Order: sequence, then C-alpha cells, then structure tokens
Amino acid sequence: MRLTRDPLYIATVCGVGMGSSLILKMTVEDALRELGIPGRVEHMDLSSVRSARVDVIVAQPLHTEELKGLNALLIPVTNFLDKEGIKRALVTRLREVGWIAE
Amino acid sequence: MTKVAILIGLITAIGLILQRRAFEEVVGGTLRAAIGVLIMLAGAEIFVQGLVAFQSIVASAFRITPPQAAKTLAEFTAERGGHAAIIMTFGFLLHLILTRLLNVRFVYLTGHLMWWVSLTVTATLLAIMPNLPTFWLILIGTVVMALYWTFQPLYIHGYMKRVTGSDEFGYGHTSSSAAFLGALLGQFVGKPEESSEKLSPPKWLGFMKDINVSTGVVIGLIILIAAIFADPRVLAEQAKDLNPYVWAILQGLRFAAGIAVLLYGVRMFLAEIVPAFRGISLTVIPGARPALDVPVVFPYAPTAVILGFVSGTIVFLVLMVIFGALGWATIVPPMIMLFFPGGGAGVFGNSTGGWKGALLGGAINGLFLAVGQAITWPMLSTTAPELATLADPDWYLIIWILYAIFTPLRGLFGGA
Repeated sequence: MRLTRDPLYIATVCGVGMGSSLILKMTVEDALRELGIPGRVEHMDLSSVRSARVDVIVAQPLHTEELKGLNALLIPVTNFLDKEGIKRALVTRLREVGWIAE
Repeated sequence: MTKVAILIGLITAIGLILQRRAFEEVVGGTLRAAIGVLIMLAGAEIFVQGLVAFQSIVASAFRITPPQAAKTLAEFTAERGGHAAIIMTFGFLLHLILTRLLNVRFVYLTGHLMWWVSLTVTATLLAIMPNLPTFWLILIGTVVMALYWTFQPLYIHGYMKRVTGSDEFGYGHTSSSAAFLGALLGQFVGKPEESSEKLSPPKWLGFMKDINVSTGVVIGLIILIAAIFADPRVLAEQAKDLNPYVWAILQGLRFAAGIAVLLYGVRMFLAEIVPAFRGISLTVIPGARPALDVPVVFPYAPTAVILGFVSGTIVFLVLMVIFGALGWATIVPPMIMLFFPGGGAGVFGNSTGGWKGALLGGAINGLFLAVGQAITWPMLSTTAPELATLADPDWYLIIWILYAIFTPLRGLFGGA
C-alpha cells in the first residue's frame, strides 16, 4: 500500500482537545505506522480543528456529525483504543478518495 | 526548583530520552512543553481577570461581597507549579508501583486531570499548612495522588463495564463520584429500558458542545443580565469608557478566551508528557489497561450526555440565583465541568435508570459543582481559589478530605 499524495495531516478531535483526543492520537499513530502510511497526527479541540486545514479528522460520531461542513475526510470512532478498527476505516476511506494505491 | 516552565521542560526531556527519541525530537518536545507552561500562565491571567469582572458584577447585582482572593491561580501556579509537577511525576510512578503490586491493572492516563489535581492538592495542603516544608508537601501530595489514581478507576469499574460492555479500559476522570451516584441512584428513578437513546434532543443544542461557544454564551448572558441589576458605580468602574452592555458581552467572550488559552497551554505540555507516561506504564506493567478521560463513554449514550449537561446546567443556574439571593455566595457557571462530568454522569445514570437516570446524574453533578464552588473557594483563598471554579466533583471531595485529615495535624507540620 502506498500513498499517492503528500503525507497526511490528521487531526484527532475531542471537546477540549486534551484527554481523549490525545489517547486517540496515539492509537492513530500506531495504526499509521503499522499500515506504513506517512503522516503527522495532532490532537485538538472542536474550535481549533475548523482552522487547522487537516486532511483527515478522526473523532467520535458526536463530533464528526458537527464537522461535516469541513473539507476533510471524516472518520468516526467509538472505541478510542481500537487500532484494528481504525486501520480498516482509514484504508477504506483513503481508498475511496484515491489517496492510496496497492 | 519552583520555576515551573523549566521543571516541566526537564520532566519532559527525561520522558523523551527514556523513550529513546531522536535528539531533535527531545529538544523540540522539551521546548514545546516549556512554552506550553508559559502559555498556560498567560491564560491563567486572562481567565482570572475575566473571573474577577464576572464576580464583581454578579455580586453587585445581588448586593453581596464578591469572593475574596488573597492570591490568584496565576501567581500560585508561577510560584508552586513546580512542586505540583514533581507531585504529578512521583505520584504517577508510585501509582504504577501500587498498580503492579496490587495487580489491579488500571493505569490512569488522563493527563490534564493529573496536572490539575496535583496542583489542587498542592494548593489545598498549603492553604491548610502555609509553612509545610517542601519535603512533606511532595511526600503527602505524591501519596494522595497515587492512591486516588489507583483506586478511582477501580471503585467505579462495575458500572463502567455496564456502560461500555467491555473490560478493555477503565474510567479515569474526576467526575467519578457524580457518575457513580448517578448510576447508583439512577435505578430508583427509572429503568435502563427507558434509554435516553430512544429520544432525540433538539438539534440546536449541538452548538453548545463546543465549550468555547457555550462558555461565551452562558457567561456573556449572565454578565449582561447582572449588568442590568448591578450598582451603576461598580459597573462604571469595571466598564470604564465602554458602553456597559458592550463591555458585558465582551467579558463573556474574554472569559471564554482565557479558558481557551489556559487549556491550549496545558494541552501543549501534556502532549509531550502523556506519551512518555504511557510508554513507561507499558514497560513496567505488561498488559496494563488504561483508565481514560470521560469522552470515551460518550459514544455509548450521546443523548444521555446532552441530558446530563442540560439538567446539570439548569440545577447550577437555579442554585446560583438562590445562593446570590440568600447573600451566601457568588458562583460562576463552569461550562466545561457542566458538560464533561455532567455528560459522564448522564451516561452512567442512563445505564441504570434510562433517561430519567441521565437527568438525575447531570443534576447531581450540577449540585456538586454549585455547592462545591461556594464552600471550597474560601478554603483555597490564600493559595489558588480560582481552582474552585475549575473543579470537577472529585476535586472537591479530595479538598474536603484533606481538610478533614490535616486541619487537626497542622501543629505537627509547623503550620497554622
């Protein structure tokens, strides 16, 4: 699997951008490393992500619903430690937009 | 020793080196942590100014004396934040040892609360015993934090399993007492079958989930209403040459801005420290399960989150008016603490009592926050009273328990 574009800029988001988004960031970083996809992950709050110009947003559905207007791939996650689920969701979504090729 | 930015930078550097990071990452991370601390201190100052404006206007509207502060959060953090950082670090290490020895397997990883509660414990011990020697401050603080981080995820885990249906992670959040009571009492008001998730709350409430927005809206509205009733002289003194109502709206926004800056700084230094804590815990305790921040339970009952938030906010605002009218205290609605602990208590309440349980959980949180703030502000007035406006339910319990234990022991530690 290889990325067909510049390395990804991914935001993990929660309400205040401190606790659970940081845990999610570590899970997403592990997922990217295992998939061999280059990218930078930052955790932030709902307000900041609106001005952050990220490629992908990973957050719980409560928040991805609200961020729908943004120009970023949204990946809703319910279990913040579910690395395998996040890997599957990333691959599916990135393939859909043609950002990865086999 | 007490230069908090340098100390937290050092702790970060050690953490990054232990993780065997590249040289430039160690340098970058260390600097980001130190800069984060300075941003936090700047945010604390803006926040304190906004709080003082809020308190003086609201107190004036009720014709009572605003809460007194001999020292502010900004001053206290600059002076004693270094001790809090040491307590956080040693407390975490002792927590790992306890977890390993007792074989309980929950490692507390909610970094921002580790920081805030360590700071609160420091402020409480020094408020009770102003001359407490540094050695004892750090020793007592370390033990208190390690015990709390070890046992908090454990006592609530029965209900946590019920909420998440999983054993994979625990609940590591200082709303645990409100969440526990919500679940315990929820069963008496409703049934789990009447789940909150069968309801759909009005869509417009969604924008309140952004705490910057909800803080600005609620605080701004209250200052605006208070400005109508306040003594015109007090209002003029605060607003200076601005139109008092324009001033009131700006204060609400400034209050929100202060909190945003404060939290940005905390986020910046914790982003470097928490991964190190996680790395160490995985090494020391194989198979360690994390105890995580409250939003991890939100996906299990998102409507209960909104119910808990709304019911807690209503209870708080009603109590705010009652306390003011009785001339007892001026309290400020803490929107973050009404949303997160309220949401958590709502989810736990829903797990045993359905939507009624969710409303009850939130109401318990609102009650805790209102009474807690009114009682606890004077307890911390010589150190960092503003912490009483940033506290979750467990913080109050920890402060009260420390007061109960150490007030009689003052003499021993050269206090008084």
